[in-house]
Amino acid sequence: MTDAAHLLRLLAWLSPAFPTGGYAYSHGLEWAVQVGDVRDGDTLRDWLHDVLAHGSGRNDAILLRHAHCACDDKDTLAKIAALASAAVPGRERRNETRAQGAAFMLASAPWRGGLSRPDDLPYPVAVGALAGTHGVAEDDAAIAYLHGFTSNLISAAVRLVPLGQSVGLTVLAALEPTILRVANGTRTAALDDIGGCVFRADIASLRHETQYTRLFRS
Amino acid sequence: MNSAASRFGLAPNHQRARGELRVSFRQREGRTVLDGLRQEGCLKARFPRPERGAWTSMVMLNTSGGVAGGDSLATAIGVADGASVTVTGQTAERFYRALPTGGAAQLRNVLTVGARAAAEWLPQETILFDRCALDRRLDVSLGSDAWFLGIEALVFGRAAMGETVKQATVRDTVRVTRESALVLHDAVRLDGAVEALLGRAAVMRGTRGLATILLASQDAETRLDTLREALAPCDAEWGASAWNGLLVARILATDGARLRKAMIAGIQVLRATRPMPRVWLC
Repeated sequence: MTDAAHLLRLLAWLSPAFPTGGYAYSHGLEWAVQVGDVRDGDTLRDWLHDVLAHGSGRNDAILLRHAHCACDDKDTLAKIAALASAAVPGRERRNETRAQGAAFMLASAPWRGGLSRPDDLPYPVAVGALAGTHGVAEDDAAIAYLHGFTSNLISAAVRLVPLGQSVGLTVLAALEPTILRVANGTRTAALDDIGGCVFRADIASLRHETQYTRLFRS
Repeated sequence: MNSAASRFGLAPNHQRARGELRVSFRQREGRTVLDGLRQEGCLKARFPRPERGAWTSMVMLNTSGGVAGGDSLATAIGVADGASVTVTGQTAERFYRALPTGGAAQLRNVLTVGARAAAEWLPQETILFDRCALDRRLDVSLGSDAWFLGIEALVFGRAAMGETVKQATVRDTVRVTRESALVLHDAVRLDGAVEALLGRAAVMRGTRGLATILLASQDAETRLDTLREALAPCDAEWGASAWNGLLVARILATDGARLRKAMIAGIQVLRATRPMPRVWLC
Protein backbone atom coordinates (compact mmCIF):
# COMPACT_ATOMS: atom_id res chain seq x y z
CA MET A 1 0.00 0.00 0.00
CA THR A 2 1.23 3.48 -0.78
CA ASP A 3 2.08 6.10 1.83
CA ALA A 4 -0.65 8.23 0.33
CA ALA A 5 -3.24 5.59 1.18
CA HIS A 6 -1.95 5.47 4.76
CA LEU A 7 -2.13 9.23 5.03
CA LEU A 8 -5.70 9.13 3.77
CA ARG A 9 -6.69 6.70 6.53
CA LEU A 10 -5.00 8.65 9.30
CA LEU A 11 -6.76 11.79 8.10
CA ALA A 12 -10.08 9.97 8.33
CA TRP A 13 -9.55 8.18 11.66
CA LEU A 14 -8.18 11.19 13.51
CA SER A 15 -10.34 13.84 11.92
CA PRO A 16 -12.58 15.80 14.33
CA ALA A 17 -15.44 14.49 12.16
CA PHE A 18 -14.67 10.87 13.05
CA PRO A 19 -17.43 9.95 15.54
CA THR A 20 -15.47 9.15 18.70
CA GLY A 21 -17.40 11.77 20.66
CA GLY A 22 -14.18 13.58 21.59
CA TYR A 23 -15.96 16.95 21.60
CA ALA A 24 -17.74 15.90 24.81
CA TYR A 25 -14.55 15.63 26.89
CA SER A 26 -12.40 18.44 28.28
CA HIS A 27 -9.86 16.31 30.19
CA GLY A 28 -10.34 18.53 33.25
CA LEU A 29 -10.00 21.80 31.32
CA GLU A 30 -13.51 22.82 32.27
CA TRP A 31 -12.44 22.95 35.92
CA ALA A 32 -9.10 24.60 35.10
CA VAL A 33 -10.98 27.34 33.24
CA GLN A 34 -13.48 27.84 36.05
CA VAL A 35 -10.76 28.37 38.68
CA GLY A 36 -8.69 30.59 36.39
CA ASP A 37 -5.72 28.31 35.76
CA VAL A 38 -6.51 28.46 32.06
CA ARG A 39 -7.73 31.93 31.05
CA ASP A 40 -5.96 32.98 27.82
CA GLY A 41 -3.77 31.67 25.03
CA ASP A 42 -0.56 31.63 27.08
CA THR A 43 -2.01 29.76 30.05
CA LEU A 44 -3.74 27.30 27.71
CA ARG A 45 -0.48 26.66 25.85
CA ASP A 46 1.46 26.05 29.09
CA TRP A 47 -1.24 23.76 30.50
CA LEU A 48 -1.49 21.67 27.33
CA HIS A 49 2.29 21.58 26.94
CA ASP A 50 2.57 19.93 30.34
CA VAL A 51 -0.33 17.53 29.77
CA LEU A 52 1.36 16.49 26.51
CA ALA A 53 4.92 16.25 27.83
CA HIS A 54 4.34 15.08 31.41
CA GLY A 55 0.86 13.58 31.36
CA SER A 56 -1.62 11.68 29.24
CA GLY A 57 -0.21 12.91 25.90
CA ARG A 58 3.05 11.10 26.51
CA ASN A 59 1.36 8.10 28.13
CA ASP A 60 -1.14 7.71 25.30
CA ALA A 61 1.69 7.86 22.77
CA ILE A 62 3.48 5.03 24.61
CA LEU A 63 0.28 2.96 24.74
CA LEU A 64 -0.45 3.62 21.06
CA ARG A 65 3.05 2.55 20.04
CA HIS A 66 2.89 -0.68 22.01
CA ALA A 67 -0.59 -1.46 20.66
CA HIS A 68 0.75 -0.84 17.15
CA CYS A 69 3.46 -3.49 17.68
CA ALA A 70 1.00 -5.91 19.27
CA CYS A 71 -1.81 -5.44 16.74
CA ASP A 72 -1.86 -9.16 15.89
CA ASP A 73 -1.50 -10.39 19.45
CA LYS A 74 -4.80 -10.39 21.29
CA ASP A 75 -3.34 -11.28 24.70
CA THR A 76 -0.74 -8.54 24.64
CA LEU A 77 -3.33 -6.04 23.42
CA ALA A 78 -5.56 -7.00 26.34
CA LYS A 79 -2.68 -6.33 28.74
CA ILE A 80 -1.96 -2.94 27.17
CA ALA A 81 -5.69 -2.14 27.38
CA ALA A 82 -5.75 -3.07 31.09
CA LEU A 83 -2.76 -0.83 31.76
CA ALA A 84 -4.39 2.03 29.82
CA SER A 85 -7.49 1.77 32.01
CA ALA A 86 -5.49 1.38 35.23
CA ALA A 87 -3.23 4.37 34.57
CA VAL A 88 -5.96 7.04 34.45
CA PRO A 89 -6.40 9.21 37.54
CA GLY A 90 -10.15 9.09 38.04
CA ARG A 91 -13.59 7.97 36.96
CA GLU A 92 -14.25 10.62 34.31
CA ARG A 93 -10.87 10.29 32.63
CA ARG A 94 -11.34 6.52 32.61
CA ASN A 95 -14.69 6.97 30.87
CA GLU A 96 -13.11 9.45 28.48
CA THR A 97 -10.51 7.02 27.18
CA ARG A 98 -12.74 3.92 27.27
CA ALA A 99 -15.83 5.48 25.69
CA GLN A 100 -13.78 7.11 22.92
CA GLY A 101 -12.03 3.79 22.33
CA ALA A 102 -15.33 1.93 22.06
CA ALA A 103 -16.72 4.60 19.70
CA PHE A 104 -13.55 4.45 17.62
CA MET A 105 -13.84 0.65 17.30
CA LEU A 106 -17.44 1.00 16.14
CA ALA A 107 -16.73 3.83 13.71
CA SER A 108 -13.69 2.12 12.20
CA ALA A 109 -15.65 -1.02 11.26
CA PRO A 110 -15.48 -0.21 7.52
CA TRP A 111 -11.67 -0.40 7.73
CA ARG A 112 -11.57 -3.49 9.87
CA GLY A 113 -13.51 -5.82 7.61
CA GLY A 114 -14.54 -8.86 9.63
CA LEU A 115 -11.68 -8.39 12.09
CA SER A 116 -12.92 -9.04 15.58
CA ARG A 117 -11.32 -7.33 18.55
CA PRO A 118 -12.20 -7.01 22.22
CA ASP A 119 -14.67 -4.17 22.52
CA ASP A 120 -13.04 -2.38 25.40
CA LEU A 121 -9.79 -1.11 23.94
CA PRO A 122 -9.13 2.37 25.34
CA TYR A 123 -8.76 5.07 22.71
CA PRO A 124 -4.95 5.18 22.15
CA VAL A 125 -4.81 1.36 22.17
CA ALA A 126 -7.65 1.14 19.64
CA VAL A 127 -5.95 3.67 17.33
CA GLY A 128 -2.54 2.01 17.65
CA ALA A 129 -3.92 -1.47 16.96
CA LEU A 130 -5.87 -0.35 13.88
CA ALA A 131 -2.89 1.59 12.51
CA GLY A 132 -0.66 -1.44 13.05
CA THR A 133 -3.10 -3.77 11.32
CA HIS A 134 -3.14 -1.48 8.28
CA GLY A 135 0.61 -0.99 8.18
CA VAL A 136 0.29 2.72 8.91
CA ALA A 137 3.65 3.91 10.24
CA GLU A 138 3.82 3.97 14.04
CA ASP A 139 5.44 7.43 14.15
CA ASP A 140 2.78 8.89 11.86
CA ALA A 141 -0.01 7.37 13.93
CA ALA A 142 1.49 8.75 17.16
CA ILE A 143 1.89 12.24 15.70
CA ALA A 144 -1.63 12.23 14.25
CA TYR A 145 -3.08 11.02 17.55
CA LEU A 146 -1.28 13.69 19.58
CA HIS A 147 -2.36 16.33 17.11
CA GLY A 148 -5.98 15.19 17.39
CA PHE A 149 -5.76 15.14 21.18
CA THR A 150 -4.31 18.66 21.26
CA SER A 151 -6.78 20.11 18.75
CA ASN A 152 -9.69 18.63 20.61
CA LEU A 153 -8.65 20.20 23.90
CA ILE A 154 -7.94 23.55 22.26
CA SER A 155 -11.41 23.44 20.76
CA ALA A 156 -12.84 22.75 24.23
CA ALA A 157 -10.91 25.70 25.67
CA VAL A 158 -11.99 28.01 22.85
CA ARG A 159 -15.60 27.33 23.88
CA LEU A 160 -14.96 27.41 27.63
CA VAL A 161 -12.74 30.46 28.24
CA PRO A 162 -13.93 31.63 25.63
CA LEU A 163 -11.11 32.38 23.20
CA GLY A 164 -11.12 33.57 19.59
CA GLN A 165 -10.47 30.96 16.92
CA SER A 166 -7.23 32.72 16.02
CA VAL A 167 -5.96 32.42 19.61
CA GLY A 168 -6.73 28.70 19.56
CA LEU A 169 -4.85 28.26 16.29
CA THR A 170 -1.89 30.24 17.64
CA VAL A 171 -1.73 27.80 20.56
CA LEU A 172 -1.93 24.83 18.18
CA ALA A 173 0.94 26.23 16.11
CA ALA A 174 2.99 26.88 19.24
CA LEU A 175 2.49 23.29 20.42
CA GLU A 176 3.75 21.67 17.20
CA PRO A 177 7.31 21.28 18.56
CA THR A 178 5.91 19.73 21.75
CA ILE A 179 3.83 17.23 19.78
CA LEU A 180 6.86 16.20 17.73
CA ARG A 181 9.10 16.01 20.79
CA VAL A 182 6.64 13.79 22.65
CA ALA A 183 6.20 11.56 19.60
CA ASN A 184 9.98 11.21 19.18
CA GLY A 185 10.62 10.83 22.89
CA THR A 186 8.27 7.86 23.21
CA ARG A 187 9.75 5.87 20.31
CA THR A 188 11.74 3.50 22.53
CA ALA A 189 9.68 3.88 25.72
CA ALA A 190 8.65 0.75 27.61
CA LEU A 191 5.21 0.31 29.15
CA ASP A 192 6.96 0.71 32.51
CA ASP A 193 7.86 4.27 31.51
CA ILE A 194 4.23 5.32 31.81
CA GLY A 195 3.78 7.95 34.49
CA GLY A 196 3.79 11.68 34.93
CA CYS A 197 3.59 14.70 37.16
CA VAL A 198 0.66 16.88 36.04
CA PHE A 199 -0.96 16.51 39.44
CA ARG A 200 -3.03 19.68 39.17
CA ALA A 201 -4.35 18.64 35.75
CA ASP A 202 -5.34 15.32 37.37
CA ILE A 203 -6.95 17.13 40.29
CA ALA A 204 -8.83 19.32 37.77
CA SER A 205 -10.42 16.22 36.25
CA LEU A 206 -11.29 14.90 39.74
CA ARG A 207 -12.84 18.22 40.78
CA HIS A 208 -14.80 18.31 37.57
CA GLU A 209 -16.98 15.50 38.95
CA THR A 210 -18.56 17.92 41.41
CA GLN A 211 -18.40 21.10 39.30
CA TYR A 212 -21.73 22.94 39.51
CA THR A 213 -22.37 23.64 35.85
CA ARG A 214 -20.80 21.37 33.30
CA LEU A 215 -20.81 21.33 29.52
CA PHE A 216 -18.37 18.45 29.23
CA ARG A 217 -18.22 14.86 30.46
CA SER A 218 -14.68 15.23 31.83
CA MET B 1 36.19 9.08 38.26
CA ASN B 2 33.43 11.55 38.91
CA SER B 3 34.41 14.89 40.34
CA ALA B 4 32.03 14.96 43.31
CA ALA B 5 33.31 11.61 44.56
CA SER B 6 36.95 12.60 44.26
CA ARG B 7 36.39 15.99 45.88
CA PHE B 8 34.89 14.35 48.94
CA GLY B 9 37.43 11.57 48.97
CA LEU B 10 34.87 8.89 48.29
CA ALA B 11 35.52 5.89 46.18
CA PRO B 12 32.99 5.69 43.35
CA ASN B 13 31.59 2.60 45.02
CA HIS B 14 31.30 4.08 48.47
CA GLN B 15 29.27 2.23 51.02
CA ARG B 16 25.64 1.73 50.06
CA ALA B 17 22.88 0.53 52.26
CA ARG B 18 21.19 -2.78 51.64
CA GLY B 19 18.14 -3.96 53.45
CA GLU B 20 15.61 -6.71 53.13
CA LEU B 21 12.56 -7.29 55.23
CA ARG B 22 10.19 -10.23 54.86
CA VAL B 23 7.23 -10.50 57.17
CA SER B 24 4.11 -12.62 57.15
CA PHE B 25 1.01 -12.59 59.24
CA ARG B 26 -1.76 -15.11 59.65
CA GLN B 27 -5.04 -15.55 61.40
CA ARG B 28 -5.08 -17.70 64.55
CA GLU B 29 -8.14 -18.11 66.75
CA GLY B 30 -9.65 -14.87 65.54
CA ARG B 31 -6.46 -12.85 66.01
CA THR B 32 -3.77 -11.81 63.59
CA VAL B 33 -0.34 -13.07 64.61
CA LEU B 34 3.18 -12.89 63.25
CA ASP B 35 3.93 -15.93 61.15
CA GLY B 36 7.40 -15.28 59.76
CA LEU B 37 10.09 -12.61 60.01
CA ARG B 38 13.40 -12.13 58.26
CA GLN B 39 15.40 -8.92 58.62
CA GLU B 40 18.62 -8.24 56.80
CA GLY B 41 20.82 -5.16 56.56
CA CYS B 42 19.38 -1.81 57.54
CA LEU B 43 15.66 -2.71 57.44
CA LYS B 44 14.02 -3.75 60.69
CA ALA B 45 10.49 -4.30 61.88
CA ARG B 46 9.00 -3.60 65.30
CA PHE B 47 5.69 -4.93 66.55
CA PRO B 48 4.25 -2.56 69.13
CA ARG B 49 1.58 -3.80 71.48
CA PRO B 50 -1.71 -2.94 69.76
CA GLU B 51 -3.66 -0.03 71.17
CA ARG B 52 -7.29 -0.46 72.08
CA GLY B 53 -9.31 -0.87 68.90
CA ALA B 54 -6.24 -1.12 66.66
CA TRP B 55 -5.22 -3.98 64.37
CA THR B 56 -2.02 -5.95 64.78
CA SER B 57 0.60 -3.48 63.69
CA MET B 58 4.08 -3.36 62.35
CA VAL B 59 6.48 -0.41 62.27
CA MET B 60 9.22 -0.41 59.63
CA LEU B 61 12.48 1.32 60.31
CA ASN B 62 15.59 2.01 58.32
CA THR B 63 18.60 2.01 60.65
CA SER B 64 20.82 3.69 58.05
CA GLY B 65 19.04 6.96 58.88
CA GLY B 66 18.08 7.85 55.33
CA VAL B 67 18.35 6.72 51.75
CA ALA B 68 21.09 7.74 49.32
CA GLY B 69 21.65 6.96 45.66
CA GLY B 70 22.52 3.34 45.03
CA ASP B 71 20.83 2.06 48.17
CA SER B 72 18.73 -1.03 47.68
CA LEU B 73 15.83 -1.79 49.99
CA ALA B 74 13.20 -4.49 49.64
CA THR B 75 10.22 -5.22 51.81
CA ALA B 76 7.74 -8.05 51.32
CA ILE B 77 4.73 -8.37 53.57
CA GLY B 78 2.21 -11.17 53.38
CA VAL B 79 -1.16 -10.98 55.07
CA ALA B 80 -2.82 -14.39 54.93
CA ASP B 81 -6.54 -15.03 54.39
CA GLY B 82 -8.71 -13.31 56.96
CA ALA B 83 -5.88 -11.48 58.78
CA SER B 84 -5.77 -7.67 59.39
CA VAL B 85 -2.57 -5.65 59.68
CA THR B 86 -1.53 -2.00 59.88
CA VAL B 87 1.94 -1.22 58.56
CA THR B 88 3.60 2.11 59.20
CA GLY B 89 7.05 3.71 59.31
CA GLN B 90 9.02 4.87 62.34
CA THR B 91 9.86 8.27 60.82
CA ALA B 92 9.57 10.18 57.59
CA GLU B 93 11.93 8.56 55.09
CA ARG B 94 14.64 10.92 53.78
CA PHE B 95 16.17 10.72 50.32
CA TYR B 96 19.55 12.42 50.21
CA ARG B 97 21.62 13.62 47.31
CA ALA B 98 22.75 10.92 44.93
CA LEU B 99 26.21 11.01 43.39
CA PRO B 100 26.06 11.55 39.64
CA THR B 101 27.38 8.04 38.97
CA GLY B 102 25.68 6.34 41.88
CA GLY B 103 22.35 5.47 40.31
CA ALA B 104 18.96 5.83 41.91
CA ALA B 105 18.02 4.36 45.26
CA GLN B 106 15.93 1.27 44.56
CA LEU B 107 13.00 0.49 46.85
CA ARG B 108 10.80 -2.47 46.17
CA ASN B 109 7.79 -2.98 48.41
CA VAL B 110 5.46 -5.89 47.92
CA LEU B 111 2.27 -6.36 49.85
CA THR B 112 0.23 -9.49 49.37
CA VAL B 113 -3.22 -9.43 50.93
CA GLY B 114 -5.12 -12.72 51.01
CA ALA B 115 -8.81 -13.46 50.62
CA ARG B 116 -10.97 -11.46 53.07
CA ALA B 117 -7.76 -10.07 54.58
CA ALA B 118 -7.19 -6.39 55.26
CA ALA B 119 -4.02 -4.31 55.18
CA GLU B 120 -3.13 -0.71 55.81
CA TRP B 121 0.05 0.68 54.26
CA LEU B 122 0.63 3.93 56.14
CA PRO B 123 4.29 4.95 55.90
CA GLN B 124 5.01 8.51 56.92
CA GLU B 125 5.89 11.07 54.28
CA THR B 126 9.01 10.82 52.17
CA ILE B 127 11.22 13.92 52.26
CA LEU B 128 13.24 14.61 49.14
CA PHE B 129 16.52 16.52 49.19
CA ASP B 130 18.17 18.33 46.30
CA ARG B 131 19.64 16.01 43.66
CA CYS B 132 18.11 12.86 45.08
CA ALA B 133 17.41 9.94 42.78
CA LEU B 134 14.59 7.65 43.81
CA ASP B 135 13.11 4.61 42.13
CA ARG B 136 10.38 3.24 44.35
CA ARG B 137 7.68 0.75 43.64
CA LEU B 138 4.80 -0.62 45.69
CA ASP B 139 3.08 -3.70 44.35
CA VAL B 140 -0.14 -4.61 46.11
CA SER B 141 -1.87 -7.89 45.22
CA LEU B 142 -5.32 -8.33 46.60
CA GLY B 143 -7.17 -11.60 46.96
CA SER B 144 -10.93 -11.90 46.68
CA ASP B 145 -12.78 -9.52 49.04
CA ALA B 146 -9.47 -8.15 50.33
CA TRP B 147 -9.48 -4.63 51.77
CA PHE B 148 -6.57 -2.21 51.36
CA LEU B 149 -5.89 1.36 52.45
CA GLY B 150 -2.63 2.95 51.37
CA ILE B 151 -0.92 6.28 51.33
CA GLU B 152 2.18 7.64 49.61
CA ALA B 153 3.43 11.16 50.25
CA LEU B 154 6.34 13.14 48.84
CA VAL B 155 7.64 16.42 50.27
CA PHE B 156 10.00 18.35 48.00
CA GLY B 157 12.30 20.00 50.55
CA ARG B 158 11.31 21.16 54.01
CA ALA B 159 10.12 24.72 53.57
CA ALA B 160 10.71 25.61 57.23
CA MET B 161 14.36 24.59 56.89
CA GLY B 162 14.82 26.72 53.76
CA GLU B 163 15.45 23.63 51.66
CA THR B 164 14.62 23.50 48.00
CA VAL B 165 14.86 20.65 45.55
CA LYS B 166 16.32 22.03 42.33
CA GLN B 167 17.22 18.78 40.63
CA ALA B 168 15.83 15.31 41.22
CA THR B 169 14.92 12.06 39.57
CA VAL B 170 11.77 10.51 40.95
CA ARG B 171 10.04 7.31 39.88
CA ASP B 172 7.37 6.38 42.38
CA THR B 173 4.92 3.74 41.23
CA VAL B 174 1.99 2.07 42.93
CA ARG B 175 0.44 -0.92 41.21
CA VAL B 176 -2.61 -2.73 42.52
CA THR B 177 -3.94 -6.03 41.24
CA ARG B 178 -7.17 -7.66 42.35
CA GLU B 179 -7.23 -11.43 41.86
CA SER B 180 -4.32 -10.96 39.44
CA ALA B 181 -6.07 -8.33 37.28
CA LEU B 182 -4.39 -4.93 37.16
CA VAL B 183 -6.75 -2.27 38.55
CA LEU B 184 -4.44 0.66 39.28
CA HIS B 185 -1.11 1.86 37.94
CA ASP B 186 -0.26 5.20 39.52
CA ALA B 187 3.20 6.37 38.54
CA VAL B 188 4.85 9.63 39.58
CA ARG B 189 7.64 10.49 37.20
CA LEU B 190 9.76 13.64 37.50
CA ASP B 191 13.16 14.46 36.07
CA GLY B 192 15.82 17.09 35.87
CA ALA B 193 15.16 20.71 36.84
CA VAL B 194 12.18 19.90 39.01
CA GLU B 195 12.01 23.24 40.83
CA ALA B 196 10.87 24.94 37.63
CA LEU B 197 8.61 22.04 36.74
CA LEU B 198 6.88 22.00 40.15
CA GLY B 199 6.12 25.70 39.75
CA ARG B 200 3.96 25.14 36.68
CA ALA B 201 0.17 25.42 36.91
CA ALA B 202 -0.60 21.90 35.66
CA VAL B 203 2.05 20.33 37.90
CA MET B 204 2.07 21.70 41.50
CA ARG B 205 1.94 25.49 41.08
CA GLY B 206 4.74 25.85 43.60
CA THR B 207 3.34 23.64 46.35
CA ARG B 208 5.82 21.20 47.89
CA GLY B 209 3.77 18.36 49.29
CA LEU B 210 2.00 15.66 47.30
CA ALA B 211 0.01 12.78 48.76
CA THR B 212 -2.12 10.02 47.33
CA ILE B 213 -4.71 8.13 49.34
CA LEU B 214 -5.93 4.86 47.92
CA LEU B 215 -8.71 2.63 49.16
CA ALA B 216 -9.51 -0.68 47.50
CA SER B 217 -12.71 -2.04 48.93
CA GLN B 218 -16.05 -3.35 47.76
CA ASP B 219 -17.72 -0.28 49.25
CA ALA B 220 -15.14 2.22 47.91
CA GLU B 221 -17.70 4.20 45.88
CA THR B 222 -19.93 4.72 48.89
CA ARG B 223 -17.04 6.30 50.85
CA LEU B 224 -16.33 9.03 48.31
CA ASP B 225 -18.63 11.68 49.78
CA THR B 226 -17.32 11.03 53.29
CA LEU B 227 -13.74 11.46 52.11
CA ARG B 228 -14.58 14.67 50.25
CA GLU B 229 -16.27 16.09 53.35
CA ALA B 230 -13.22 15.24 55.46
CA LEU B 231 -10.82 16.94 53.05
CA ALA B 232 -13.00 20.00 52.41
CA PRO B 233 -11.85 22.07 55.43
CA CYS B 234 -8.15 21.23 54.94
CA ASP B 235 -5.62 23.85 53.91
CA ALA B 236 -4.74 21.85 50.81
CA GLU B 237 -5.77 21.42 47.21
CA TRP B 238 -7.27 18.03 46.49
CA GLY B 239 -9.47 15.93 44.26
CA ALA B 240 -11.07 12.54 44.79
CA SER B 241 -12.81 9.96 42.68
CA ALA B 242 -14.12 6.43 42.99
CA TRP B 243 -14.72 3.74 40.43
CA ASN B 244 -14.60 -0.02 40.13
CA GLY B 245 -14.03 -0.70 43.85
CA LEU B 246 -11.29 1.94 44.14
CA LEU B 247 -11.23 5.31 45.85
CA VAL B 248 -8.35 7.65 45.07
CA ALA B 249 -7.56 11.10 46.40
CA ARG B 250 -4.71 13.33 45.31
CA ILE B 251 -3.66 16.08 47.73
CA LEU B 252 -1.30 19.03 47.31
CA ALA B 253 -0.17 21.29 50.15
CA THR B 254 2.33 24.09 50.55
CA ASP B 255 4.41 22.23 53.14
CA GLY B 256 4.81 18.94 54.98
CA ALA B 257 2.81 19.99 58.04
CA ARG B 258 -0.29 20.98 56.07
CA LEU B 259 0.06 17.87 53.93
CA ARG B 260 0.19 15.65 57.01
CA LYS B 261 -2.94 17.26 58.48
CA ALA B 262 -4.85 16.67 55.26
CA MET B 263 -3.60 13.08 54.98
CA ILE B 264 -4.67 12.29 58.53
CA ALA B 265 -8.08 13.88 57.97
CA GLY B 266 -8.51 11.83 54.80
CA ILE B 267 -7.39 8.44 56.04
CA GLN B 268 -9.06 8.69 59.44
CA VAL B 269 -12.56 8.77 57.96
CA LEU B 270 -11.74 5.61 56.01
CA ARG B 271 -10.43 3.73 59.10
CA ALA B 272 -13.61 3.36 61.18
CA THR B 273 -12.62 4.06 64.80
CA ARG B 274 -9.08 2.69 64.69
CA PRO B 275 -6.64 5.17 66.22
CA MET B 276 -3.82 6.61 64.08
CA PRO B 277 -0.60 4.65 64.66
CA ARG B 278 1.34 6.28 67.53
CA VAL B 279 4.36 7.07 65.34
CA TRP B 280 2.14 9.39 63.30
CA LEU B 281 1.29 11.50 66.32
CA CYS B 282 4.80 12.33 67.60
